[in-house]
Amino acid sequence: MTRWGMVIDLARCTGCAACEVACKSENNIPTVSPDQAEMGRATSWMRVMAEPKGAFPDTTLEFYPRPCMHCDNPPCIKVCPVRATYIDPEGIVGQIYPRCIGCRYCANACPYTVKYFNWYGPEWPESERQYRNPDVSVRAKGVIEKCTFCHHRLQKAREDARAQGRQLREEDYQPACAEICPTDAIVFGDLDNPTHRVAELKEDPRVMRLMEDLGTQPKVYYLRQRT
Amino acid sequence: MAEAATRGGHPPWRTRGEQAGRLSRRLLIPVLGIVLVVAVLVPVIARGGPRVPQPVAFNHRKHTQDLGLACDFCHRYVRTGAHSGLPDASTCSLCHSSPQGTSAEAARVTELLAAGDSLHFNKLFRMPDHVFYTHRRHVAIADLACATCHGDIDQTERPPPRALVTIDMAFCVSCHKAEGATLDCNACHR
Repeated sequence: MTRWGMVIDLARCTGCAACEVACKSENNIPTVSPDQAEMGRATSWMRVMAEPKGAFPDTTLEFYPRPCMHCDNPPCIKVCPVRATYIDPEGIVGQIYPRCIGCRYCANACPYTVKYFNWYGPEWPESERQYRNPDVSVRAKGVIEKCTFCHHRLQKAREDARAQGRQLREEDYQPACAEICPTDAIVFGDLDNPTHRVAELKEDPRVMRLMEDLGTQPKVYYLRQRT
Repeated sequence: MAEAATRGGHPPWRTRGEQAGRLSRRLLIPVLGIVLVVAVLVPVIARGGPRVPQPVAFNHRKHTQDLGLACDFCHRYVRTGAHSGLPDASTCSLCHSSPQGTSAEAARVTELLAAGDSLHFNKLFRMPDHVFYTHRRHVAIADLACATCHGDIDQTERPPPRALVTIDMAFCVSCHKAEGATLDCNACHR
């Protein structure tokens, strides 16, 4: 059974935020002005969280790239009154925008705060309109949006593989963040397929998941910094 | 009482007849408006939206049946793209740059091409914005015939004013169920 998941090696992450940028450009996420961002109105499906470590003067920043965890036991789908968010048979937690009524229960249920509400309609500078991705919708005002593991890429990769009459390979389907990561800190693949790199990496002794004690069973694994 | 009221010239109340007349006059315009709107909208909704105009009266039967042209001769991206594509002047001019056949419409196409008209055809079948459909998946990979969703468009002799088949979600889902295709929401909506 396919279970798509991600392993992020924190020892490799430099906090460059290329994943954030790639994600925004892939998924038609509008940018907002700095003062709007200050008011918490920026949307970032992938966000590089920085956490200071140690006591002054021996301080460092530890970076946690944080996409949707695509939990195997997602708290968000339990509270959705209209089944606009659901987990598909391959473990991707989807958000169906035309069905979402904007109640924001899921955003409040998510312990990882990866769900974003569209308080305003998307605004695009005229010069950027033509660079939007036609495979991804532009979300309207009043719906929740979130990381989809670039599900549209999976569909396209499946189609390509079927058109060429072959099996889907690991490299065929990579989300934008994993593809762009310059240090290869983000690895993506099928957790249940022993030939995929993630299946091996998730058995690493450094492995941990965020807020594991909540029982959400996230499919995004982190490899701790080497000490 | 009545005397006192009429002394001032204007009675402080209106008779029933007057009230009814005023009421009916006040209601006349909105009621007429509603009737007009309904009279216009009902046929439009019942027949599936407004008419789709086309620059020339394209004869599908002539081209696909009599001349034996394949659909993808004009709808070039039907096997490779999300949209099948509509022909433009460059496609038509492959044949119609010189006079073809005997029909007046064919002669008009040649005239329009000579005048540099771009022949902008309009889409007849439209998907709602929240549906992510690709022709490649359905035509090239699933090997569906065009008629499955487009009806007998290849038999029409004039451009139909509206889509021949109403494609709604029940239509998609019934086929997806019958063929064992995906029923995952994300496959079509995202």
